[in-house]
Amino acid sequence: MTDSKSASCPERDRDGRSTTTVASTGDHAGPTGFRLESLRRFYVHPAAISLLYVGGGLLWLLAGDPLLAAWLADGAPALPSHLPRGLLVLAASGGLLYGLLSMQANAMRRAFQARDIARDRAARQRTEDRLRQVRSELEARAQERTAELLAINRTLEQQNAARMQVEFALRDSEERFRQLTEHLREVFWVYGLAEERILYISPTYEEIWGRPIHALHERALDWLEAVHPDDRSRLQTAHANKLESGFFNEEYRIVRPDGAVRWIWDRGFPIRDDGNHIYRIAGLAEDITTRKLAEDQLRRQQVELAKMARLSLAVELASNMAHELNQPLAAIVAYTQACVALLHQDQTDPRVLTGTLEEVVQQAMRAGGIIRHLRDLVRKHPTTQTALDLNTLIRSVVHYAQSELRQIDTALNLELTEPLPAVLADDIQIQLVVLYLLRNALEAMQQTEIGARELTVRTAPADASTVRVTISDTGHGLVAEAAEHLFQPFFSTKPGGMGLSLSVSRSIIESQNGRLWATPNPDRGTSFHFTLPRHTNPGSPFPPA
Amino acid sequence: MNAPPTVFVIDDDQAVRDAVGLLLQTAGLVVETFPSAAVFLESTAVRRPGCLVLDVRMPGMSGLDLQRQLQQQGYRTPIIFMTGHGDVPMAIRAMKAGAFDFIEKPFQGEALLARVREALQLDALERRRQIRRAAAAERMALLSPREREVLERVAAGQYNKVIAAELGISLSTVEIHRKRVMEKLQAGSLSDLIRMLALCDEG
Repeated sequence: MTDSKSASCPERDRDGRSTTTVASTGDHAGPTGFRLESLRRFYVHPAAISLLYVGGGLLWLLAGDPLLAAWLADGAPALPSHLPRGLLVLAASGGLLYGLLSMQANAMRRAFQARDIARDRAARQRTEDRLRQVRSELEARAQERTAELLAINRTLEQQNAARMQVEFALRDSEERFRQLTEHLREVFWVYGLAEERILYISPTYEEIWGRPIHALHERALDWLEAVHPDDRSRLQTAHANKLESGFFNEEYRIVRPDGAVRWIWDRGFPIRDDGNHIYRIAGLAEDITTRKLAEDQLRRQQVELAKMARLSLAVELASNMAHELNQPLAAIVAYTQACVALLHQDQTDPRVLTGTLEEVVQQAMRAGGIIRHLRDLVRKHPTTQTALDLNTLIRSVVHYAQSELRQIDTALNLELTEPLPAVLADDIQIQLVVLYLLRNALEAMQQTEIGARELTVRTAPADASTVRVTISDTGHGLVAEAAEHLFQPFFSTKPGGMGLSLSVSRSIIESQNGRLWATPNPDRGTSFHFTLPRHTNPGSPFPPA
Repeated sequence: MNAPPTVFVIDDDQAVRDAVGLLLQTAGLVVETFPSAAVFLESTAVRRPGCLVLDVRMPGMSGLDLQRQLQQQGYRTPIIFMTGHGDVPMAIRAMKAGAFDFIEKPFQGEALLARVREALQLDALERRRQIRRAAAAERMALLSPREREVLERVAAGQYNKVIAAELGISLSTVEIHRKRVMEKLQAGSLSDLIRMLALCDEG
């Protein structure tokens, strides 16, 4: 209704409302537009209508009722007499009609024009609005985009920085890797399983092997040729296993082109791809010649030490026992010569002779006992570690060393904890250590006045896993300087001392997994302590001798 | 002083002590045995003539310790040391300290006996000298200071004239002193006089 009204009376709508109406066409554009357009379509020029009216009037004037009646009656028409007057009226009304219609048409045209203008303005307004909206939208979008771009830029910068960093790090790590591999004493290598050859090997290889790397790349078996003939077959087997498991751990010798032999410790480990398949093996080969030689020497030294210990103990004990042995022998000789003298003197009282000869037998038995003891001692198990009762050991050493102990007026205190857990050690070697320490203590007390010479041997469990032996003297003690060098070979504070016994003792104890050290006593003299590991299987403590 | 010379055997080893004692007894010697140096020192045997057969190694006081003790107390009884295997350094020390000899165990009975006899002779000789020296010293003590001065000069081989001049006395006074000295010392000749003087100086 409003739409038709607006169409018919456009003037009233020429204020803001019309704008709103037009603006509203945005919502109802279809139907309203259609009606206006259809109105415009039915618009007829006023001249045409006036002409039509004049024509019709003229027709009616000319024919009129009579004509019609004649038409109906088939009679011949006769021209009416009122025609001139009719024509005049017709012309006048026609002109009037035209004038009215023209006014109407003008009004309509104006209305249309106004409407069009309003429409245009609304459209422009709308466009402007739209434009403004679009512009603000654009602006917003531009801002968004800018922000987005900035963010992207930032991210890019960050990524770039990160990449740079990674690159630096990579370059750095490459550098480091290069430095590492070039300066490492070990040779680093990578073996490609598919390639069936060494892919990388660090330059140290040339130094250690004395062979060029390119030869290794050119001939796959160059490395095997460098291996000492005695180790070659073993290494080939290990190599085959390596290809299977990826693991490799071998010590072998190589022969350099100059003929020098080097010991190599070579270790490899598998590198797997994403599918967990080994495709490379990486490894480190190290020149262990020095260590190997040192080990060999150490082993030789240990054997020597054991031999020496055995020998020295045998010599020590033999010397002591030779002395012991002299006693019965001297008695035997004296008894028998007394018997001979008696027989010569014809004073042969058979009772005296019998008694004397019985003495001779006893002394001979005594000598035999001493020799048996010595033989047992020397023959005893070679350098094997067995379960030892340190108390028994100490008592027997003290017994053998008795003649030495007797030389100087020394009070010997044995403070042996009973029962003492068995230790695992070599019998002979520990006896030698105890003997050395006893003698060391005695020698330290040579300047001590008689009556103040006290030698104490103590045994006790040190902790859950070791047993400790302490040998204390009341001798001259140790000055700090001497304490430092105490266990060095050829160091001695005693005139005529070789200075070997303490260093040998320490070597022995350490080779038996124990410890030997010295502490000054609070009052006077020195204490030497050593520990030995407990025998861990007390179920079968003492093996048959 | 009239006790027979005795061999004192000192060894801590009972068998050796016994056997050596028996051996020496069968050779007709008087033997006493001691189980340790301390027991010997505490006994009267220290002062008696004879000789020692002493084990060098003993618990407590060793043979060397006993030797030192005896010397400190002024006893000069000869000592034969018995040494064992490897006791050479101790034997050397003993000899340096004035031991009569050392003999290594086990030893021939004859060797020991020979050494023991020599030691006993030495001891007897030494004791006789000791007695003479004691007598000489006793007589020497009778001399007056002036007589002693004259004696020393006479022994030095000076003429009476020189002695008179040195001491500022007359020749006849010197001669009187000299005669008194000979009487007091019971010397028959000049050589007797000189020997006696040497004996005293020695002590």
